[in-house]
Amino acid sequence: MPETRQPGKRTPILGSGQIAVEVTDSISEASEQVRSSYRFSDPALSELPIDELLDELLNRVQEALEVDTVAVLLRDQGAQQLVARAAKGIEEEVDRGVRIPIGRGFAGRIAAERVAIYISDVDHADILNPILREKGIRSLLGVPLIVEGELIGVMHVGSLRPRTFGANDVAVLQLAAARAGPAIERATMSARLEHEHSVSIALQRSLLPQRLGELIGVTVASRYLPAREEVGGDWFDVIELPRGRVGLVIGDVVGHGVAAASLMGRLRTALHSYAIESHGPGRTLELVDRFVQSLNEPAMATAAYAVFDTYALTVQYATAGHLPPVVIGPSGARVIDVTPAPPLGAFPYGRCPEHEFSLQADDILFLYTDGLVERRGIPLTDGIESLVTAVQGTTSPEEACLAAVADLVPLTGLRDDVAIVALQNSPIPAELHLHLSAEPRTLAKVRRIIRRWLVERGAGQNEVAEVTIAISEACANAIEHAYPPAPASFELRASCENDEITVTVRDTGQWRPPRGENRGRGLSIMSAAMDHVEVDRGDHGTDVVMRRRLSHR
Amino acid sequence: MTLADLQITQAPGTVVAHLVGEIDMSNAEDLSAAVIAATPNDARGVVLDLSQVDYLDSAGIWVVHGMRTALQARGQGLVLVIPPRSPVHDTLRLSGAERPGEVVEDLDAALLAFGPSPAGDS
Repeated sequence: MPETRQPGKRTPILGSGQIAVEVTDSISEASEQVRSSYRFSDPALSELPIDELLDELLNRVQEALEVDTVAVLLRDQGAQQLVARAAKGIEEEVDRGVRIPIGRGFAGRIAAERVAIYISDVDHADILNPILREKGIRSLLGVPLIVEGELIGVMHVGSLRPRTFGANDVAVLQLAAARAGPAIERATMSARLEHEHSVSIALQRSLLPQRLGELIGVTVASRYLPAREEVGGDWFDVIELPRGRVGLVIGDVVGHGVAAASLMGRLRTALHSYAIESHGPGRTLELVDRFVQSLNEPAMATAAYAVFDTYALTVQYATAGHLPPVVIGPSGARVIDVTPAPPLGAFPYGRCPEHEFSLQADDILFLYTDGLVERRGIPLTDGIESLVTAVQGTTSPEEACLAAVADLVPLTGLRDDVAIVALQNSPIPAELHLHLSAEPRTLAKVRRIIRRWLVERGAGQNEVAEVTIAISEACANAIEHAYPPAPASFELRASCENDEITVTVRDTGQWRPPRGENRGRGLSIMSAAMDHVEVDRGDHGTDVVMRRRLSHR
Repeated sequence: MTLADLQITQAPGTVVAHLVGEIDMSNAEDLSAAVIAATPNDARGVVLDLSQVDYLDSAGIWVVHGMRTALQARGQGLVLVIPPRSPVHDTLRLSGAERPGEVVEDLDAALLAFGPSPAGDS
């Protein structure tokens, strides 16, 4: 049998810093081992990411043993196989994803028997991996990689000419294996954790709003900052509601990890669903609480839901155990004093009262989670006070987010994740001049802008309804004049002087006479709703000019 | 935000279509088609509940007229629920249009509109 085994009992427990040195034939060989010991225990090695670590290790082994090939195969726990992970001289092993069953062939037997195996003549040995023969390797030496009693893989070297690997070579390879094992294990583990962390963060990000819709009369900015180590359960949401209202949500699931992130996704969806059913903030949170109670799993979260009415300029606010909101205005930033109801999932049939406060033009409503203000050893009220100081004087939601993150997020990273969402009451300009795309869906947007604009001009409820329908009809005409498929746009101007509003809708299409008895109604509605309507059909388009005096009723 | 929602309920011999939200040229045709599709041939008529509609424009009126014509062709009636002082009421007033179907002020009145149920239904 052209094979020499180093029996298991004489290659005892490797790893844990122990080195099995078989024989030391001469001083020169002993000093070679000392040199190798330095070569493989370089502390810099253990700092490297897995791929670089293996690359560097293989280079050093190749150099120390003057061999043609070096390969590391790692154990695939699930499959009871060895998988080629890194190689020098036989890179094909890795490229082709060579897998060797533990217990069979050269590497498989090293793994199963946990012994060093030396093959002097490959041609006459039980070799499973064809690449070894294809490459013309004549002699092979392999050792197991063992960490704390666990087999993690195999490392083997090969020579293209027949070579006798002596006891000294075995000792050097075992030394390399003993040093490399823990480093490989550490690097593999950290690569896996890093992967899991990035997957968790990707999952969490996918559960947060990707894009905020086009909102009228408000400006919104948000942040999500993951914790340094573990994924968390913070969330925010922005919900467009009927009748000029916008919902703003902030929440924080108690706990960490993928379970918290997943619960966060469910709570965000539940809250969003109840909110678009037009439940007020208090009732919405009560329904989410019932949802949490129904989950039959330990689950708790804090959340706040604010509904800003862009006509009344008030905020309806409800909080289930969440930190108080901050309002930033021209006269400074302040904490709004709202008594929170218990957290979601805390008590059966909890009640969630609503609070109301005003949000004047340019005021910013700033909602956040505790990760932003909670610091070990510092009272929570001090943290909130620091936040108020940080956002003081900011004039946009984006600026407020920037200031809060810059002042409150430690450079060393966060222990807890952070969500922030800030909404500013942004009035519509008194002189409106819009370029709009000539498609039917534009109409709803026009009405939202016009209603808010009319409210800001002091128009009464009837006036808002009537002028809005007149303008929407004029815009509908402009959209009908645009011939598809060419993309087209039209212009809308509106101004108000001495209580008289003037609206101009200008398109560049062809005026089409009303078709059928019902089609002419757009024009009748415009005439009935406004004091004065003028349609100017030019060669290059149509101008509709409408006026109405406001009596504020 | 979706502009409008449609919920169909059944009363004896009658399909009740509850519309909520805003109706304009972007969604009027689709809403009308959905109501017609939900109306079986043996229904005596359709109640279109417009009491929760926040906005209706001339395209909406036009489409309701079209619905009435389509239902008439099948021998089915159309009743509209339009409370006084509601947005739809205001649009109809401004348009000066002929009412596109029988109008009642609330849902209870609408459900009586198609007369007592035939013996087979009760």
